[in-house]
Amino acid sequence: MAKAPKLDSQPQVVTANDLKSGDVVYLTRAAGWSRHIAEASVVPNAEAGAALLAEAAAQAKMNVIVAPYLIPVDDSMTPPLPVQFRERIRAAGPTIENTPAA
Amino acid sequence: MYQYDDIDQTLVDERVAQFRGQVARRLSGALSEDEFKPLRLQNGLYLQLHAYMLRIAIPYGVLSSRQLRALSQIACRYDRGWGHFTTRQNLQFNWIKLEESADALADLAKVQMHAIQTSGNTIRNTTTDQFAGAAHDEIEDPRVWCEIIRQWSTFHPEFSFLPRKFKIAVTGSPNDRAAVRVHDIGLRMHRNAAGETGFEVIVGGGLGRTPFIGKTIRDFLPKQHLLSYLEAILRVYNQFGRRDNLYKARIKILVHEIGIEAMREKVEAEWLASRDGALRLPREAIDQIAAHFAPPPFEALPAGIAPAYAEAFRRDFEFGLWARRNTAKHKQPGYSIVTVSLKKEGAPPGDASAEQMAAVADIADRYSFGEIRVTHEQNLVLPHIRQADLPAVHKALKAYDLATPNAGLASDIIACPGLDYCALANARSIPIAQQIALRFRNWERAHDIGELKIKISGCINACGHHHVGHIGILGVDKAGEEFYQLTLGGSADENATLGDILGPALNADQAVDAIDTLVETYLRLRSSSEERFLDTYRRVGLAPFKEAVYAAA
Repeated sequence: MAKAPKLDSQPQVVTANDLKSGDVVYLTRAAGWSRHIAEASVVPNAEAGAALLAEAAAQAKMNVIVAPYLIPVDDSMTPPLPVQFRERIRAAGPTIENTPAA
Repeated sequence: MYQYDDIDQTLVDERVAQFRGQVARRLSGALSEDEFKPLRLQNGLYLQLHAYMLRIAIPYGVLSSRQLRALSQIACRYDRGWGHFTTRQNLQFNWIKLEESADALADLAKVQMHAIQTSGNTIRNTTTDQFAGAAHDEIEDPRVWCEIIRQWSTFHPEFSFLPRKFKIAVTGSPNDRAAVRVHDIGLRMHRNAAGETGFEVIVGGGLGRTPFIGKTIRDFLPKQHLLSYLEAILRVYNQFGRRDNLYKARIKILVHEIGIEAMREKVEAEWLASRDGALRLPREAIDQIAAHFAPPPFEALPAGIAPAYAEAFRRDFEFGLWARRNTAKHKQPGYSIVTVSLKKEGAPPGDASAEQMAAVADIADRYSFGEIRVTHEQNLVLPHIRQADLPAVHKALKAYDLATPNAGLASDIIACPGLDYCALANARSIPIAQQIALRFRNWERAHDIGELKIKISGCINACGHHHVGHIGILGVDKAGEEFYQLTLGGSADENATLGDILGPALNADQAVDAIDTLVETYLRLRSSSEERFLDTYRRVGLAPFKEAVYAAA
C-alpha cells in the first residue's frame, strides 16, 4: 500500500477564525479573508506556507482574525478539500441537521 | 427557588459591564488575543470549531419559566434558534458573535443568570438531582446546600486559580441521580444513628483521561460544617495538587497518588484549625436559604392514582407508554414528576429549539408552578405536575416533539457535542447517537429492552460520561479516521462502576451495529425481563458480549 504523503509536503492554505463573529475564514489570494475555502490562496507546501502564515499573523495583530494556522489540502479538488477530517468539518460546518426537532 | 438579592444582582450587572469594556478593548486592539482569552473564558465564552460558544450556568439545574423564556429569546436574538443542554446541567449556545456577547450576558443578567465560572480552574456549577424538592425518596432538599455552596464558591478569591477545574455534586436521596461518585467532591445526604442529617463526603472521583470512582473521606459530616470542610479539602488540593502536568492536576490524581488515608489526615488537620471559624453555618443562615426552596402551594390531593390519570392510561396507549417511562413518583400525594425528553430519535441529544424552550416555559407556568429542571442526562424536568393534568401535559409536550417515551431507555443517549462543534474532540458523537437512537425507535423493542444507559464522548475528556455508561462509546482518531472504543458495565448511580473495555476500536458503522449486537446478546442472556442490561452484564461478564461483537465484526 502506498504511504500517504507527509502533511507538510502537501498543498496548504491558512485558516483562522474571524475575530468579531468567530466564523471560520481562509486567507485569500487578495490577502483578505473569506468564509469560503474556494477563495483561499493555495501554496504548494508548508515551507511555502510560512510566508502566508506570517502575513496572517500580522493580520491577527491588527485584530481581524484569531489564531491562524496552516492546513494541508487536496488541491486537485474544487474547492480544495482539507486533508484532515476536523478541517473538513470546519470548512463545511457541522455534519448534522441542526434543528432539534428532526 | 432562590432569588437574587441586591448583592447578587450588583455582582452580575457589574460583571457584564466589565466584560463589555473588555470586549470593546479587544475589538479596538487595546487587548491582544493572549490577554483577552482568559477574560472571555472567565465569562464562559469559548472559541470552538466554527464560532464562539457561550456556556451559561444553570445553578444546580434549576430554571424558572421566566429564565427559560429568556434563554429562548437569546437563542433567537444572538444564536441560530436553539441551544444545547449539557451533562453539567448547563446550556451552551454554539453560534454567538463576540461583538454581541456582552448584550447576551446583559439579557441573561436581567433574569438572574450569567456565565461566570463555567470555564477556568475554578469551582464550577454545583450539580444535583433533577428531582430535588419533589423526589419521593429524598431525605432533604439538596438545592439548599447547592445554593450555600454557590454563594461560598462564587468569586472565592482563594480558589480562583486552582490547579485544575473543580466539580461538586450533591444528592439528597439514597438513589443517586446526580452521579456524585464521579465528581471531584460528591456529597451524599444521609442520617446517622442518632437520626441527624448530614453528608457522606466523597472525594477524588472523576472521568476524563484517568477515571476514578471517588473515595469516602468522611462518613458523616454535620451540616453546619459543610463549608469549612469543603474549604479544608480545597485548601489541601490547592497546596498539594499538581501544577506541573495538566493531565495530572485534578484532585483525583492527588488522592490516588497519596492515598485516601493521607488525604484524610491532611484535610482533617486543616479542618481542625478552621471548623469553628467564620464558615460554621448558623441555623438562621441555613433557614434563610432553605426558605427560598419552600414547597410550592400544592393542593391537598388524595393518595393513590388520580382517576383522570388512570382513565387516560387505560384509554390512550401512547400516553400510557409515556407515563410509564417519563413520569416518576412525587413526594406529594396526587403529583408526579415529568421528564421532558430532549431525545427524539434521530435528533441531536440535548438540543432544544427556541420554540421548544418557550413551550416548556408555558407548560411549566400552567402546570408546574413555573419550575423546570435540567438533568445531567440532557433532558428537562417538570417537577410538580398534578396527576390529573398528566394527559394535558403529554398532549402539550407532544405538540412540540417533546413527548418521546424513552426516559432511561436505549435512545435516551448522553452525547457530548463531539467533532461537529468541539475544538477538543477527536471524533463525532452526535451522528453516532442519532444512528443508534434510530435503531431503537420501535417502542415495543425499546420498552422490552428496558433501562439501558448509552453514553458517548468524542474524546478522552469524557464530557459524554462514557466511562459510566452501561454501554460507553469513546470516539478516537486513528490515522485521521474516526473510530469508537466500546466499554460495558459502567454506572453513575449509588453503585457506581467504571466500564470495562470491550476490545479494539470499531469504525462508525461497525460501532452502531455492535450496539445492536450487544443488545441482542443481552436479550438472549438475561434471566428474565426484569433483569436490566447492567445486571446481566454484572452476572455474566464481558466474554459473551465480546465474542458476539468481534465474531460478527
